Amino acid sequence: MSSRDFVYSKFQEFYNNPLTVVPAPTSFEQREFAYLMFRERFMVRHKRFESIQTFQNVLARNVPSDVYHSCAYYENPDLEMDKKGWIGSDLVFDIDADHIPTSCGKIHDEWTCQKCEFSGKGVTPDECPICGSDKFSAKTWACDFCIESTRVETAKLIDMLTKDFGFADSELHVFFSGHRGYHVHVEDEAVHSLDALSRKEIVDYVTGLGLSVLDKGVKEKRVKGRKRFVDAKKFNLHDYGWNRRLKVGMEKFLSTMTAENLKNFGLKNNNLLKNKDAILSRAIMGGRWDSVSGVSVATWLKLAEQVKSLESANIDTVVTTDIHRLIRMNGTLHGKTGLLKIELPVRQLDTFDPLTQAVAFKKGTAKVLVSDAPEFRLSGAMWGPYKNVKVVLPTAAAVMLILKGRAEVAN
Amino acid sequence: MNRNLSIESVFTKSDLAKYPFLKETARYLSSLDLQIEDLTSSGMSQILDRAMERVTSAIVDFMVRPLIGVQGNKYIIKDLQKEIISFPVAVMLVSATDNSLIKKRYALAEAKQVTSELNSESKELVLKIALDFGWRIAFTPSDSAFEFILYFSDFLQNASHLHDVKWKLINSKLSEGNVYLNKHDVVRLLQEEIKRRIEKRFVTISIDKYPPEISELADKLKVLAAENIGQTETEFPKVVIQEAFPPCINALYNAASKNHHLPHIGRFALTAFLVNIGMSPESVTELFRSFSDYNERLTQYQVEHIAGERGSGTKYTCPQCSILQTHNVCKNRDDICKRIYHPLKYYKIKSEILPQNLPEKPDQVTKK
Repeated sequence: MSSRDFVYSKFQEFYNNPLTVVPAPTSFEQREFAYLMFRERFMVRHKRFESIQTFQNVLARNVPSDVYHSCAYYENPDLEMDKKGWIGSDLVFDIDADHIPTSCGKIHDEWTCQKCEFSGKGVTPDECPICGSDKFSAKTWACDFCIESTRVETAKLIDMLTKDFGFADSELHVFFSGHRGYHVHVEDEAVHSLDALSRKEIVDYVTGLGLSVLDKGVKEKRVKGRKRFVDAKKFNLHDYGWNRRLKVGMEKFLSTMTAENLKNFGLKNNNLLKNKDAILSRAIMGGRWDSVSGVSVATWLKLAEQVKSLESANIDTVVTTDIHRLIRMNGTLHGKTGLLKIELPVRQLDTFDPLTQAVAFKKGTAKVLVSDAPEFRLSGAMWGPYKNVKVVLPTAAAVMLILKGRAEVAN
Repeated sequence: MNRNLSIESVFTKSDLAKYPFLKETARYLSSLDLQIEDLTSSGMSQILDRAMERVTSAIVDFMVRPLIGVQGNKYIIKDLQKEIISFPVAVMLVSATDNSLIKKRYALAEAKQVTSELNSESKELVLKIALDFGWRIAFTPSDSAFEFILYFSDFLQNASHLHDVKWKLINSKLSEGNVYLNKHDVVRLLQEEIKRRIEKRFVTISIDKYPPEISELADKLKVLAAENIGQTETEFPKVVIQEAFPPCINALYNAASKNHHLPHIGRFALTAFLVNIGMSPESVTELFRSFSDYNERLTQYQVEHIAGERGSGTKYTCPQCSILQTHNVCKNRDDICKRIYHPLKYYKIKSEILPQNLPEKPDQVTKK
């Protein structure tokens, strides 16, 4: 049996298992559905289904590698794009390790230049260091650090959505994406009609783009080549939105920072640490920003910039602004891992373990020849590292290694 | 905050005349059951005159003066009924011109007039009008430094069109879903809402054939517009001048020419930019073909789609600067960038300040 056939048979078993439940998204009949055919590798799009049961039958029959539905609601979801009749769209966020720096440095990812076949590990470079080409084939991996990095970003996003945007926990749907990240869906009617420009403003809010903390009264001036601020008293932070986030963030940042750390962040001003208590009580809590000598507006701005980058959430900007986006369907398998996209309670983001709870293939084992795999955790156990060895692995691990291009079925 | 908050809004007839786009005005008008043919009857001539006056002053003076008279020491609107009916008639006249510049100018002039009225109204009336638009808005508790709280999605619907950084959501006073605002801010947002609503009326109005009298008036307005508004539709140079490309487009152009992968938004921005400055879809496709191993069929399809030759027939414009910033496509900002909000505007300005370029064949990109 070929490796592809093996994985296909596992996906087929999954979608034909009567115990498999694919939860129906809200407003089911107004959504467009789409799926990528496992063998033929083409995308079936613009589908509409009467019920989740009909759709599950289609999945069982066709066995796709990836399944999607539109974030949008349409009058005619099965017509071509221009004739669909857009009614509204969920507000959707995608946090993916692909788009963010992770603490593992993605050392487990491999890339190969398609032109000269030079290869390396870690983040794929912009250009091949040997021939300068920018076409690579890559083998990615989803490690604990990758997933943890995305979890931290997701937690920051959820904090904004609840405290600043006022959504109740029950209005937020948080999912593990099935690969190395999370999705957050807001289906509340209040967001349906938001246009792309409004959604862009929400993206800028979440990512910290365009934040200006100086009142118009503060003028920047160059004195002997150095920046000076006139009328520094107008530097004032209120208690709403990002101003509040900056205050809380500054407090957190300064309370835990050492001189060495500050330097690493490009903040050389020793007064920040020396006068820490005065800064925390008088400036940050009391709002008297000019009251601590030796801490200028320029320093405050630098600090604000630093805190902003720590407090903002790293999301895929394109996904949220696209009002016609297709998103992976809850309860279906990810074609790169064999893991499930699965919903988790908002308040369990800290304790939820995707590498156990999103495992779909819980039974059986398979013998595979692993070319190269780092040590990894799955279903509560550690596996590998492997290099050119035949091993018997649980089905979930075997499927993941095959889909990641790291193993073949050993006959 | 209760998002479904609504109060029984009671407007005076004078309110309806000053703010003729309210739901209650629509109810009042439908009770009169006016037909388009009625407008040309002699009894309606005064209303038609007033409607013409509205549009004319919008075109000429960029404002719509209310029809006021003095009563004692107070200014009052003279003929309320005429004032109320003349608004939808003016909208119809503008619509009959089928001229996008007049439509834009009129919508803005009416909206600005309302702003100046509202600034001297009570905050109670401002609230009533906002509620009439379906905004989720309320007064703040009395101890607050602000007067209103507005649900963020209603805020965004209007604020996202305003360029000043103070209107960016990230700089707003957002808390628990509501943006804290003072009356002046709410009035500014109402202006935007009114402008959008009037513009929307032009889109939804469906009159196949106007009576000849109306068409005649519409022609008069078009002449007036040609004299007063002038040609504000942007005209680009006849040849494509690469030196005048904004830095973001240059970066995309160079990346594409070096066969580098462009993200979707970058490819879209580059294509839409080139099509909008006057390159033909064929030339754009040709240009891309010379660059790289683009899928030819797909490239041609995408370019033609963006140029409006396929699908819905809509010609897409290049995304504005703020959108390119959001998606990290904005690169190497320079001094001109600080003055503009749109890459096409950059191109227009830069091409005008560059020394006159030698005439070249259209559709060829001049090399640096």
